Amino acid sequence: MPKLLRHLLKLVGVLAVVAWSLVPIGLIAMSSFKSDRDIFSTTGAFSFAPTLVNYQALWSRWGDFFFGLWNSFLVTVGATILAVGVSLLAGFAYSRFASRGLQASAFFLIFIRLIPPIVITLPLFPVVNWLGLNDTHFILILLYATFFVSLGTVVMRTFIDQIPRELDEAAMMDGASQMQIIARVILPMAAQGMLAVSVFVIVYAWNEFLFAFIFTTTKAKTAPLVISEMIGAVEGVEWGVLFAASTVQLVPVLAFVILMQKHLVAGLTAGAVKG
Amino acid sequence: MSTRAPLSAIALVSPVQAMIGAIIFLPALYVFWLSLNQSSFGQQASFVGLANYAKVLADPYFWKALLNTVIVVAVVVHVELLIGLAMALFFASGVPFRPLLLAIVLAPYAVSEVSAVVMWRFLFEPDVGMMSRLLASIGLPPIEWAVNPNHGLAMVSLLSIWLHLPFSFIILYAARLSIPSDLYEAAAIDGASAWTSFRRVTLPLLMPALLIAALFRYIFAFRLFSEVWLMTGGGPARSTEVLAVYLYLEAFRYNAFGPAAATGWLLVLASLLLALFYLRRLYREMFARA
Repeated sequence: MPKLLRHLLKLVGVLAVVAWSLVPIGLIAMSSFKSDRDIFSTTGAFSFAPTLVNYQALWSRWGDFFFGLWNSFLVTVGATILAVGVSLLAGFAYSRFASRGLQASAFFLIFIRLIPPIVITLPLFPVVNWLGLNDTHFILILLYATFFVSLGTVVMRTFIDQIPRELDEAAMMDGASQMQIIARVILPMAAQGMLAVSVFVIVYAWNEFLFAFIFTTTKAKTAPLVISEMIGAVEGVEWGVLFAASTVQLVPVLAFVILMQKHLVAGLTAGAVKG
Repeated sequence: MSTRAPLSAIALVSPVQAMIGAIIFLPALYVFWLSLNQSSFGQQASFVGLANYAKVLADPYFWKALLNTVIVVAVVVHVELLIGLAMALFFASGVPFRPLLLAIVLAPYAVSEVSAVVMWRFLFEPDVGMMSRLLASIGLPPIEWAVNPNHGLAMVSLLSIWLHLPFSFIILYAARLSIPSDLYEAAAIDGASAWTSFRRVTLPLLMPALLIAALFRYIFAFRLFSEVWLMTGGGPARSTEVLAVYLYLEAFRYNAFGPAAATGWLLVLASLLLALFYLRRLYREMFARA
C-alpha cells in the first residue's frame, strides 16, 4: 500500500474514533452554553453567543439538582471507603493464605456476580422499608459497595500477589501483628490496586440509576435521579437546562477517569483476566 | 499447602463475605421462596408451587420482553466486540497522540446512563437533532424511537454499545499488546500476508480475551434496565420492554410479587447458564490448586 494512502486511512480512523467518543459528550457540553434558539439553530453548531442562562435556570429552578449532587458525593465517598477497605482485607487474605474453605469462598465471591441487581431489589425493598433505611445514604452506600467487593477483592489480590512475601515475613519477625502488616507493609505498596478499585466504585456510585431510583425518594436522592426527573418533567423538553445539569454531573467524573486512566486500565485487566 | 485457613484469614474475608451474603445471596434465595408463593405488599404469603412460573410463561409480554432482551444482547455484545477488536488492532498498529486518543476512547466510561440517554435522544430528536438532520440530508427516514418499537430498541442498542465499548476495547487492547512481536516478525519472514498473520497469530491468541470480554458483556447486557427505562419506558404499549423492565413493572407497578420473583429467578438461571462454562473452568482451576 502506498504510504500516503496508509496515512490517509489512519487519519480517517483517528477521526472516526474521536467523533464516536466525543461528539455526543461535546455536543451537550457545548449546547449547555447556548440559548434555546441557538440549540436548535440549523446554521452550524459552532456559531453561537455563549450564555449562562441555562446554568442560571438550573440554579434557580432546580435546587434539587445541587442537593442531589451533594447526596451523590456523600454516597460515592462512603461506598468507596467501604468497598476499598474490605476488599483490601479480603484481597490480602486470598493472596497470603490458601485452604479449601478459602478457595470455596473465593468461588462464591465470583459466582455471586452473576445475580442481577434488579432481582434482589424485590426482597430488599420491604426489608429496607421495615428497617427504616429507605431513602438514606446508608442503604445506597451499602448496596454500591457490596456490588463491587467481588471485583474489588479480585483486583486487590492480583496487586497484593505482586508484593514479595518476604516483606510480610520480615515484619512478622519484628513482632508485627496481621493488622500492622496490612497497615504498614501492604497498604503503601498496594496503593495502585486501591486506586484501581476506587476508580470502579467512584464511577459506578456517582452514575448509578437503578438502586437510587428504587430506594430513594427525597432525602438521599442522587444527581442521576434528578436528571431523570428532568427528562420526565420536560415533555416539551427544556433541553438547555437538561444539558447544563448533565454537564455539571459529568465533568468531575470525566476529569477523574482521564486522570486515573492508567489505574482504570490496570484494574480492568487485572479484574477481567483473573476474575 | 494447608487445608485449613488460620482464624485471622477467616476474619479478614468475613466483611466481604458477610456483605455479599446478606445483601445478595440471602435475598436471592428469598426471591426463590417468593417465586413459589402468592404475595404482595403487606399481604400474607401463601404457597402456590410453580403457579407463578406458569403465569409468567403464559404471559405474552414476558415472551416479548425475552425476545427483545435476546435481540438487544446479541446485537450489542457482538457489534461491541467487533468494533472493540477493530479499534484494538488499529491502536496496536500505531496511532498518533496515543495517550490522548486513549483518554478520548475511555471517555464514555465516565458517562452515566442518564446523561447518555440525554445525549442520544438529543442527537436523534426528530427534525432538530444532529443525526436526524444528517439522515434527512442523505434522504433517509428519521429514527422514530418514541413511536416505532424497532427504532426504540435500535437506539437502546446504540446507546449501550457506546457506553460499554471502552470496557471491551481495553480488554482486547491489553491482550493484543501482550502478544510478543517476534511472532509477527516470524510470520512476516515466512511470507505471511496481513490477513494470514491475523488469522494465524492474532485471532487465536486473542481468543481467551475475546471469550472473557464476551462473557462479561453477555452477563451485564442481560441486566439492561436503565437505558430502556429512560429511553422508552418500555413503550409504546409495552413493546420495547426487556426482562429487567418487565420484572420492575410486575413488582412495583402491578404489585405482582410472585410473578416478578419468578421472572427474577428465570433471570438468575439464564445468567448461570450463560456462565456455566466459565464457572466450571474456574472451579477446576481453583480446586486443582488447593
